Amino acid sequence: MLNIKNLKVSVENKLILNDLNLKINPGEVHAIMGPNGSGKSTLANVLSGKKGYEIQGEILFDELNINDISVEERAQKGIFLAFQYPVEIPGVNTNVFLRTSLNSIRKSKGEKELDTLNFLKLIKEKAKELGIDEKFLSRQLNVGFSGGEKKKNEILQMKLLQPKLSILDETDSGLDIDALKIVADGVNSYKKKDNAFLIITHYQRLLDYIKPDFIHVLSKGKIVKTGSAELALELEKSGYKNL
Amino acid sequence: MIENYNFNIDKIPNLSQEEKSIRKKNLDIFFQSGFPNKKLEDWKFTDLNSLISKNFQKLTNIEKFNIDKKLELLNNFQHNYVYLINGKMNSYNFSHEEKDKIIIDNFNNSNRNANKPLNSLNFLNDALAIDGFYLEIKENYKLKKPLIIYNFFSNNLKDVIISNKNSIKINKGSSVDLIEYSLDDSNNCFIKNTNEQINLDEGSNLNYFVLQGSKSNNFFYKYIKSKLKKNSNYNNYILTSGLKFNKIEFDIELNDDNSNCEIYSALNLKENNHQEIKTLIAHNSPYCRSYQVIKTVLNDQSKGVYQGKIYVKNQAQKTNAYQLSKTLILNDKSEFNAKPELEIYADDVKCSHGSTSGSIDENSIYYLMTRGISEIDAKQLLIKGFLADFLEKVKNQEIKMLFEENLERQVNGS
Repeated sequence: MLNIKNLKVSVENKLILNDLNLKINPGEVHAIMGPNGSGKSTLANVLSGKKGYEIQGEILFDELNINDISVEERAQKGIFLAFQYPVEIPGVNTNVFLRTSLNSIRKSKGEKELDTLNFLKLIKEKAKELGIDEKFLSRQLNVGFSGGEKKKNEILQMKLLQPKLSILDETDSGLDIDALKIVADGVNSYKKKDNAFLIITHYQRLLDYIKPDFIHVLSKGKIVKTGSAELALELEKSGYKNL
Repeated sequence: MIENYNFNIDKIPNLSQEEKSIRKKNLDIFFQSGFPNKKLEDWKFTDLNSLISKNFQKLTNIEKFNIDKKLELLNNFQHNYVYLINGKMNSYNFSHEEKDKIIIDNFNNSNRNANKPLNSLNFLNDALAIDGFYLEIKENYKLKKPLIIYNFFSNNLKDVIISNKNSIKINKGSSVDLIEYSLDDSNNCFIKNTNEQINLDEGSNLNYFVLQGSKSNNFFYKYIKSKLKKNSNYNNYILTSGLKFNKIEFDIELNDDNSNCEIYSALNLKENNHQEIKTLIAHNSPYCRSYQVIKTVLNDQSKGVYQGKIYVKNQAQKTNAYQLSKTLILNDKSEFNAKPELEIYADDVKCSHGSTSGSIDENSIYYLMTRGISEIDAKQLLIKGFLADFLEKVKNQEIKMLFEENLERQVNGS
């Protein structure tokens, strides 16, 4: 599904990702761990198509080189990024945003757009699954939401938009244990044969709840070690220093 | 200068000799200074005189009122209406209300006390005004349906000035939701100069919505003098995008304890639009509150102006006054001028003002795009969001929806 070949990324001539290779197949859950400044969030941003990076190498998504494809087209093709810091947007109603988003994606696939009534039915159902209060959907997007509410809102969007590849950028940061469980349940319930996850995290904590198939350790812009779920426990004990 | 204008008081119907001579005096006062220009402090960001000489040939006062036209009414919801054609009251309908609670009549200089003139446009209005409307709501009556004041302009106007006067009086304990809705069939140039007075008696409420139903290349000036008594509430919501030129001047007196006024303006200015909101809010009594939020989006070569003055009299302790101007600048060729002023003579007051301007937040655009929304749609969503957050304050759901529809249209560009 995702095949990253010799990816080099720099910002203002500073090299952040250096010769990174990563392959993710449908049905797999990959975790990327690493110390602060190792390039984890840069990888997430580059995959989403954010501007401002100089990029060399190839990012193939479903065999297609997406290097020159815009942010919204990547989303339409099925790449989803759950933000570490979801943006607060005053004045934009959460429901209006969610419907605009879903319909943009449906439209790009040639599917019929959902009218307000059918949309509300769908979103209420999805919100219920995540224990999100309906009232929260009529509030301004992320404005005044707690850290946990913002992250739950990200997972709600993921479940609504049904992406092929979900990238979770430090989704566990700032979550208490109850919120963490809800987020993990949301992810686990969306795991299917034909979609995949890339979970970026600093701590092993989230991986107690979401079982990865592979763990990669990112250091100084490179994957320096790849292993199974047990690698996380090892890292928790010995830290990143020995790598 | 006089040779550029052909103002003729004899064209105004049904005037007594005495009335004519008063009007001629007012016209003479107008001619001493002409249209306001940027040398005047109140007009320093809006040089009306130069705009008028650029856009008009030989300006004359209007005489066309009787046009053969079927009234176009909004069918969004049931409402009462007053229909003005070219500034003059054509018809009204209050079929949803109890008849003896409402007085509706023509309003002009001679039949009631009008506002005292403050600037040359006011004098010109006193000289040339034709009948607008006089509305009075009797005590303890809440209008069952909103009232729409239609302002329709016909397509046969050219190089004319339309002057009219309106008056609204809400008596003790009564409430009105009023929408001023302007429709303009005209592509030719006219100037509209309106002078309005509003009197709110004890415990009364007026929600005043100003909505522009179509684009217009014409010039609008409105002066509104409002006087509030004890425990009254006066809320204004202004959505007048699409006008080439508009200046609304509020002169509000909070004359009794616990009176409250709010002004929200949300404008999306395009092309060479020039709009100004000017306010003077006088806190003349203790425990009054005023609240102003002015939002402006500037596209192309548009120009926005906000001049907001808060005056607090020495006995007006416990005043709470707030004003904020926020601007989104989308084009380097556009311009915004904000002039906040506080003049405070009481010592136990809470007054604050703020002004910000900037461009659309790139991070917000990025966030929306990661959800499959195109850059253009993302920007429109953010502009609407920036302008629309005051809609949360609108309690009447039907009016709120009408505003949302209009905002959608104004931002999406039709």
